[in-house]
Amino acid sequence: MRIYEELFIIKPDATEEEVDQIIEQMKGVITTAGGTIDKVDKWGKRRLAYRVDKHREGSYVLIQFTSPPETVKELERRLRVTDAVIKFLTVRIDETLKRLEKRKKHREKRAQRKATAAPAPAQPSVAAQMLGTPEPLPVPERPSAPTEPRP
Amino acid sequence: MAESRGRPGSASQRPTGGDKAVLSQKKQYFRRKKVCRFCVEKIDDINYKDVKMLNGFIAERGKIVPRRISGVCGPCQRRLADAIKKARNIALLPFAAQI
Repeated sequence: MRIYEELFIIKPDATEEEVDQIIEQMKGVITTAGGTIDKVDKWGKRRLAYRVDKHREGSYVLIQFTSPPETVKELERRLRVTDAVIKFLTVRIDETLKRLEKRKKHREKRAQRKATAAPAPAQPSVAAQMLGTPEPLPVPERPSAPTEPRP
Repeated sequence: MAESRGRPGSASQRPTGGDKAVLSQKKQYFRRKKVCRFCVEKIDDINYKDVKMLNGFIAERGKIVPRRISGVCGPCQRRLADAIKKARNIALLPFAAQI
């Protein structure tokens, strides 16, 4: 089971219902193949960076799902067949997510290690800074002879 | 220093892009060392969907800014280039923009 992300563009003149219909169709394809939908995100109408099939705008839809690898071929075929979809992009993201998780854990561990390694010397100086006045160091008492007025 | 002046092509293969003098063949001067923006801010996820962030790394005409100009480190530049190419494919960024 791999995690994929599908971003596709629907023609701007399609109605909300049609957009929802297409999303339901694609969700059906994924679920019948034994996959699960993680999230669906509709970005709405956006300006395209270049003309695609004579359109300058399009409605973007993002679907993140987990499924066996064969589903992608079927999903892409359906998207290709659908007239209203003008562009699509499938990205496999399970490795990326794993790497991000690892990096996050690594960072958290390092932060924890830093916090536990230097609490004693760090705290007094921080506290002193917050108070504003540095604590005066105790001056060592010099063994002084009793001061006598010099003759 | 003398050999590097005679072979300007090899300057781009140097690991640090800090020495601008060799590239432009002018008097010796040192640009401050540029740091990789992603490594400093600890951004792990260079996503193709994040157009605002990617816009900072493409030139006026839509070309990807080279590493020696943007100061990005090797691995991050590769990920950035991949993200930009994906964004171009899905019409979030232009392939070639009119200035």
